[in-house]
Amino acid sequence: MWTYEKKLQYPVKIKNPNPQLAQLIITQLGGPDGELGASMRYLNQRYSMPYKEVTGILTDVGTEELAHLEMIAAIVYQLTRNLKEEDIAGTPFATYFVDHTTGVYPVAASGVPYDMKYIAVKGDIIADLNEDLAADAAIPQMQPLSKKHRNPL
Amino acid sequence: MMRPNNYNNTCNMCHGNCRDKMKMLRALDFAIQETVLYLDAYPDNQQALDYYHQLIEQRKEVMEEYEKACGPINMYGNKSHTSWDWVNNPWPWEHDAN
Repeated sequence: MWTYEKKLQYPVKIKNPNPQLAQLIITQLGGPDGELGASMRYLNQRYSMPYKEVTGILTDVGTEELAHLEMIAAIVYQLTRNLKEEDIAGTPFATYFVDHTTGVYPVAASGVPYDMKYIAVKGDIIADLNEDLAADAAIPQMQPLSKKHRNPL
Repeated sequence: MMRPNNYNNTCNMCHGNCRDKMKMLRALDFAIQETVLYLDAYPDNQQALDYYHQLIEQRKEVMEEYEKACGPINMYGNKSHTSWDWVNNPWPWEHDAN
């Protein structure tokens, strides 16, 4: 089971609302490499993990991903607070707003709702750890375009 | 009975002391989180286990102080017998709670 801790893992205090930015950041919530996928990946893989050390890590990292999910949601929530329709009309956030207003709904930046198809749970240690490595390798993909390469090993 | 969010009048979190305590709690929890992940992988490391217990002791103290002065952190921590502070204090995603 889980119990809620009424605090953010790291504080979020955004001075200026910015719906355009929210429309990009929300992909870290419900996108293919987002925190919802990350938490679901680790928390569902742990049942079939044969090593107790790895089961522990999947449980604790999966739980921490839920804390990340909440921080990202707080960012999106604060970036879209006190907005009026005229602040949103004509911005990329308008297509989200028409469906969800300023509610926080996990979608990718493209607007596709969160999908469990983003993750894999195979019940096989090699397959699942490779899935986790691939998820980790997705992190450079989230960097600015100029940094989107890996240095040769 | 539903009540409006009136925490701006009673905002204990707005108290500077509570901000400092929360900062301390976050710092401790960060250290604990990383130590726990390390111990998951290296359960026989005595140095890490000692460090873990040192942090847990500190957290207990800070947590007790925080919940007494600033409001509950989890559902076991509503110290008041006359008010349900769990819903009256700001939620962590609110701008003014941070």
